[in-house]
Amino acid sequence: MKKAILLVDDEPHVIRVLRLMLEREGYDVATANDGNEALGKMAARRPDVMVSDIQMAGMDGRELCRTVRARYPDEAFPIFVMTSMTASEEREWVRELAQVEFLEKPLSPRQLIARLTTYFTTAAAAQETPHA
Amino acid sequence: MKNNRIGLILVVSSLAVIALVMSLLLKRQHTEQAEQVRVQGLGTVRSLAALPAAVLLPPPGQPGVLASLLAGRDNPDFAYAAISAEDGRNLAEVASPGAIVPPAAPLALASFDERGVAAGQNARAIREFRGPLASADARLQLRIGYFVPQGPLDLKDLPFYALIALAVFLLVPLIYIVIKREMAPLAALGEQLKAVSKNQAQPVLELSSGQDVRGLAGKLNHYLDHTSARIRELEQDSIASMASGRLLEYGSNKMQAVLQCLPDGLLVLDPAGEVTFATGKIEPLLGVPVAEVLSQPVEGWCRDPELRAMLARFRGGGLDARSQMTIEFNPLGVPGKRLWATAQALTGHAMSYGTLVVLRDATREHLARQAGNDFVAHVAHELKSPLNVIGMYGEMLADAGIDDPALRVEAINVIQDEVERMTSLVNNLLNVSKLEMGSMRPERHRVKLDDLLRDAWQQARSRAEAKNIRLELQVARDLAAVSIDKDMFRIALNNLLNNAIKYNAAGGSVVLAAEEGDSDVVIAVRDSGIGMTAEDRERVTEKFFRVRETGDEQRGGHGLGLYLSNQIVELHHGRLTIESELGHGSVFSIHLKKMPALAEGGQVL
Repeated sequence: MKKAILLVDDEPHVIRVLRLMLEREGYDVATANDGNEALGKMAARRPDVMVSDIQMAGMDGRELCRTVRARYPDEAFPIFVMTSMTASEEREWVRELAQVEFLEKPLSPRQLIARLTTYFTTAAAAQETPHA
Repeated sequence: MKNNRIGLILVVSSLAVIALVMSLLLKRQHTEQAEQVRVQGLGTVRSLAALPAAVLLPPPGQPGVLASLLAGRDNPDFAYAAISAEDGRNLAEVASPGAIVPPAAPLALASFDERGVAAGQNARAIREFRGPLASADARLQLRIGYFVPQGPLDLKDLPFYALIALAVFLLVPLIYIVIKREMAPLAALGEQLKAVSKNQAQPVLELSSGQDVRGLAGKLNHYLDHTSARIRELEQDSIASMASGRLLEYGSNKMQAVLQCLPDGLLVLDPAGEVTFATGKIEPLLGVPVAEVLSQPVEGWCRDPELRAMLARFRGGGLDARSQMTIEFNPLGVPGKRLWATAQALTGHAMSYGTLVVLRDATREHLARQAGNDFVAHVAHELKSPLNVIGMYGEMLADAGIDDPALRVEAINVIQDEVERMTSLVNNLLNVSKLEMGSMRPERHRVKLDDLLRDAWQQARSRAEAKNIRLELQVARDLAAVSIDKDMFRIALNNLLNNAIKYNAAGGSVVLAAEEGDSDVVIAVRDSGIGMTAEDRERVTEKFFRVRETGDEQRGGHGLGLYLSNQIVELHHGRLTIESELGHGSVFSIHLKKMPALAEGGQVL
């Protein structure tokens, strides 16, 4: 089964490129323009990984992360946050949130794909281990 | 000492007076006695001479008149009485005991006279009175002698003289005491003057002992003259010092006013760390009344731990005298304020006067710095966004572009757009920088506005079409020429047009119009966009100001476009006016003065 990725960004070019690249890698990609739209999409189905920008009009990335973690406390799917700030400046607000990682801008789609691959292989290995 | 001498003089002089009086008295007594003897002698001689000789010369053995004269003598000085013949033989004689009758001397004339008989071996000096006797036969003379009084002192008068001497002797000390009593104030005055003169810088008055009243008075006058001169001097000194005091006071007041009028708050602390001076600016800066600052210990009024720590460091002059320390803090008493506090040891003339603390309002600087930091962060973000997109498309081109030509075209277009966006931002940044450094000066030329506006319209059309916005141009061909810097003006115009397109909705419209008034030309950019509130309209030309983003299409603004446009219009002595209604669009109008008719023939670019 294809892994579901939810892309949240208000820059259409970013959405366009990432969707294209991720679909080429065989992911099932859903997109949203801002936090509210993302929450709407999530109501139907939670993704395996959410990739979100921080600075967005409407509901921004921080609020989206907090809402997602609060609304679905048991589903700790990873969230990759794209930021143009340095990671240390963003540490503060993610301290209490589980499984939030940073992707630094300018973002390389290849780097995102590598991170996703690493994550899914580790997760698969972790899932297989108890069975074995 | 002086009194003793005066006393001695008084005793001596009193004795002299006594002696004088005594001698005068004695002399007078002598004279009186001699006169008395003379009167008596002459009287007796005259009365006896009148008697007949027979009476005077009784027969021998019978007592005569002379004998009765001796017997009845009342004068103790009576010496003798005799009747002598011409040859000097005494016919009759009587003598008191101890007296010897001297030999008779012939009478020079037949009249009464007197003569002195000097004292002999055993006899006293005698005064003899004589006179002729009336006798027919012989020339007889009658002689009566008296002793010349012997001693100058009559013992019987001694108590009288002693009494006088005693009286005089007692009178002298009395006079002395009285004089002394009368002199006492003068003596006291003399002592006082001596004391006063001793206290003076230059001894003008030297009181010597044995001074008399006139000398004293003279010195007193001299002293008074000197004193009044000194008083005048002192008065002049006092006036001079009063004047200099006033001058000092004026200077001090002026300094106080200067200090109070400084925009910074000043605190002066003594070496013990207590505030001795505070200007009124302290109150708005720290939020603590000046009276409280001056009356309470530092711990009492200073609520800011940073300031308190710094004041504590300077207490007691423990730090090096030249050391200076500056802190920056937000005062707890005034929310939203940012202060710089600089403490500096007050030293001079090898003395430490404590500490000077200067409090400066750094709110503006702080906000400017914050705005600068925000701006840098914002610009970095704005630059990173297109870079992000360019990078992504680059990677996509490399990975998927080889076998998909449509993707290649898309990537190239997006990359070009993003490069343009970055270029616009960088250009605006450079322009703002130039504008603020004052190095942007409009090179004004006569410009035909309709060409310029048509160019701007052409350039903006592609952007408007991409957003499905209708861009109209309503410019008359024969529009008056204006004097502007074409390149700068284009920046202003492009920014206005870009904003009108950016803050618009798909299907909306933007109209670029130009109308000619009596004296000016108005270029208007009208949009059917989102509009803005009155508050935003007031601030929209401020540097870095951005209207709160309401939709994804309005991203990419950097708060510089309208600021720059406004500045450029003002550099052209024009005006930028804004009319706007939230949700209904805005009209940005540039008002420019028309070129004077005289210049019509000038060069037209």
